[in-house]
Amino acid sequence: MATLNALMTEWKARLEPVLCGYCDWRYMIPAGSSTQRCPHCFRRDLVPLDVREELTPFPHRPEYVLPFTVTGERVAKQVSLFTHNIPFAPADLTPQNLRKRLRRVYLPHWLVDAEVEAQLQAEVGFDYQVVSHRERYASGQWVTQEVRETRIRWEHRVGDMVREYYNVPVPALENDRELVERLGTYPLEEMEDYRPEHLDRSFVHLPDRSPEDAWADAVPAIQQQAADEIRQAADAQHVRDFSWRPDFGYQEWTQLLRPLYATYYLDDDQQPRPVLIHGQTGRLSGERRASTKRARRMGFIIGGVGLFFVLVAVGLGLADLFVAEGLGLAALLVLLLAAAILIGALVPPFIAWEFNRRQDLQ
Amino acid sequence: MLDANFPPAGYIPANSSVPGIDLFMPAPQLEKQEAIVEFRCPQCNGETAYNAADGGLNCAYCGFHEPPPKEVVGKGAEAFEFTVTTVEWAAHGWGIVRDELQCQNCGALTAVPPGDLTHTCPFCASNQVVHRQAPQDLLRPRFLIPLKISEEECRTAVREWLGSSWMTPGKLRHLARTAHYAPIYIPYWTFDAFSTSVWRAQVAHTRRYRHYNLSTKKWETRTKTEWKWESGNVRLHIDDLLVSGTNKLSRLLLERIQRYNLHELVLYDPSFLAGVQAQAYDVQLDHAWAEARRQMRARTKSACQAQATSQRMRNFSMNLDFSQESWRYILMPLYVATYRYEDKTYQVMINGQTGVVGGQRPVDWRKIGLLAGLALLPGVFTGLLSLILLIFNEGGFPLLAITAFLLALGAAVAFYLVHHAQQLDDI
Repeated sequence: MATLNALMTEWKARLEPVLCGYCDWRYMIPAGSSTQRCPHCFRRDLVPLDVREELTPFPHRPEYVLPFTVTGERVAKQVSLFTHNIPFAPADLTPQNLRKRLRRVYLPHWLVDAEVEAQLQAEVGFDYQVVSHRERYASGQWVTQEVRETRIRWEHRVGDMVREYYNVPVPALENDRELVERLGTYPLEEMEDYRPEHLDRSFVHLPDRSPEDAWADAVPAIQQQAADEIRQAADAQHVRDFSWRPDFGYQEWTQLLRPLYATYYLDDDQQPRPVLIHGQTGRLSGERRASTKRARRMGFIIGGVGLFFVLVAVGLGLADLFVAEGLGLAALLVLLLAAAILIGALVPPFIAWEFNRRQDLQ
Repeated sequence: MLDANFPPAGYIPANSSVPGIDLFMPAPQLEKQEAIVEFRCPQCNGETAYNAADGGLNCAYCGFHEPPPKEVVGKGAEAFEFTVTTVEWAAHGWGIVRDELQCQNCGALTAVPPGDLTHTCPFCASNQVVHRQAPQDLLRPRFLIPLKISEEECRTAVREWLGSSWMTPGKLRHLARTAHYAPIYIPYWTFDAFSTSVWRAQVAHTRRYRHYNLSTKKWETRTKTEWKWESGNVRLHIDDLLVSGTNKLSRLLLERIQRYNLHELVLYDPSFLAGVQAQAYDVQLDHAWAEARRQMRARTKSACQAQATSQRMRNFSMNLDFSQESWRYILMPLYVATYRYEDKTYQVMINGQTGVVGGQRPVDWRKIGLLAGLALLPGVFTGLLSLILLIFNEGGFPLLAITAFLLALGAAVAFYLVHHAQQLDDI
C-alpha cells in the first residue's frame, strides 16, 4: 500500500497530492502550499488527497523534464503586450497583477517504449529531376532558358520489421490537444533527466488519462515513426499509404513534465480569467476582456453631462420666452450639443461590447 | 497474427538501410534481351523472315508460318520524361559499338555497320537481330509500326506514282518493275508537350475617314493606321510530333511520306525485324528535342498571332512555358528503292504502312520546252501579223496591243511550267 512517505521518497521532494474541488484537476504541490489557488481555475478549492485511497494508480516519478527556459524579460514583455490596447480593461487586469500571480506548473505527457513486430506495405517516393524549358521571344529572337523541376517517383514496398521504439510521446491529459493549440508544441529534444530541483515551487499536474486509455493515441504515433523508418530504410524522400499488421511486445510507460506559467486576472464579476504562458517559448494564451461595467460607468458620466446641457437649453428657452428675447437660437444650439453628447454616451458601452464580441469570435 | 506466406509471390528483396526492417519490391519485368536473336524455321531449319502480306514469320522453304506477337498499344504507348539522367545519357551517344558479329548458324565472322539493328549472314543467309548496347535501357526501341505493304504493292504504287506526272519521261513507269525495293525500319523520335504562352504586340487598325481639303476645296478620303496594344494567352497540346532519328536519309523525302498512323504502334519484338533492315538512331535525343521545340515554338507563335485582331503587327513578344514534355523512340517501316535513268540514279521512298510514295523523278525538259514554246507561239504569230500590217499602213496598232497581251500570258504560262519542272527536278 502506497503512502505519502513512499511517494516523497520516490520523487525525492516534499510533496502532497491535492484535488481541485472546482475543476477536478489533480496536482502534486510543494508540501504546505495547499492554501494557494488551483493554477487551472484559480479558485481556492484545493483538497488534500489520501494517497492510499484516492490516488490510484500510484503517481510514479517522471523520467524526463522539460525545464523552464523562457526568460523573465520575455514573460514580462508578453504580459505587457497582453494587457496593452484593451479598451476599458478590468481594473484587475494589469501587468503587475499578472506577474505577481504567476505560478509554475508542469503538465504531464506519457512516454511509451514499445517493441513491435509487423508486416507492412507502403509507397515510398524518390525525388528526381526533369528538364524543361522556358522560352522568350522578343525583337525577332528566341531566348531559351533550361529549368529543372523536381518530381516524385512512387514505388511499392512490402516488408517486415522487428523494432523497438522509445519515448513515443502520448497525451496524458484529456484537454492536451486544446493546450497545444493554444500554446504550441514542446521540443522533446531539450528534455532532461528528472531532478527534484526541477520542481522548485511548482505544481505538477497529474495525468487524467490512464496508459490503457492513452494507448489508442500511442499506436498512431508509433505507426507514424514506423512509416518514417520505412522511408529511411528505402533511402526514399517520401512515404504514403503506409499500412501494417503490428504485434506489440513489451510496453513501458513513463512521464515527461512540460513547463507552463499560469496566472489570472479578475473580470467584472470578480471571476478569475486564466492566462497561460509556454514555459519554453513564452507564447501566451488567455482571454482579453473589456470591462463592460467600466464602459457603462463612462457612458453614464457622459450622459450626465449631456443631460446638464439639456437643462441649460431648457433654461435658455424659457428665458427667451419670458425674460429676454433673442436667446432662442442659443437654446437651440445648446440643445443640439446636448443631443450629440447623449449620443456619445452610447459609444463606450458599444466599444466594450464590440471588443468582447471580437474576442469571442477569435 | 503475421502472415506466414510473406513476402508475396513476385517480390524480391530491396535495399534496406535500417536494421530490423526487411523490404521487398515487385520484381521488375525483365525484357528478353539476347545479344543476337536468330530466326530459323523449327521444321526445316531454313531461315525465316517477316512477311508484310500476312504479318508473320514465314519459312521460304517449307511454308511454315508463325504469327509474331502483335500487341497494339497505339498512341497509349508509354512515353518517357526528360529526366536529367536520360538527357545526360542520351548526349553520350551509343558509346561502344559492336562492329563484328559471329553468325550463330555457320560461325562466320562478319562486320555489321554501326547503327544497323539487323543483319543477314552473307554465307548462310540466316536473318539475325542485333541488340545494340544502348546508353540507357530507355533508349532502346520499345515500339514500332509493323510493315504492312508488300514488295508487290510497293511496285504498283511506284509505277502509278512515276506515271502520275506528264512532266516526266513517258517510259519512266516501266522502270518501276526493274527497281529493287528494300524494306527498312528507320528510327523516329516522337514528342508530346503542352505549351503555355502569353503574348503581347502592337496591332495595326486602319480607319478610313472623309475630310475637306481647303486647298483643293474637295472632300477627300484618307486612311489612317492606329497601333493598339493587344495581348492574349494560348495553351496548345502538341501530340506526337515526329522527328527523324536518322541523318542518313533525305529529310525532304521523309517529310513527304512520314504521315504514319501511330494508332497502330505495337510493342517492339525482334521478330518484326527478321529479314528487314533496321537502323538505330544517329540523331541524339537532345538534338531531336531541340528540333521538336523549334517546331513547337513556331506552331505556338502562329497560334498567338492568329489571336490578334489584325495580322499587321509590330513589337510582338511572347513567353512560352513547356510542360509535361515526354518522348518515345520508335521504329517506322519504309521501302527504299533506286532506279537509273539516262546514267543518273534516282531515289524513291515508300511509306511501309500507308504506301504513300515520295521520291526523285527526272523531268523531260524537251516536253517542258515544247509546251513553253507553244504558250508563246500565239503572241509571236500575232506580233508578226501586226508588224506586216504596220509596214503596209493597214492599221496594225490594235493587233499590237493584243500581241503584247498574248506574249505576257504566254510568258507567265512558260514561267509556271519551268518553275514547277524545276521544283520536281530539284528533289
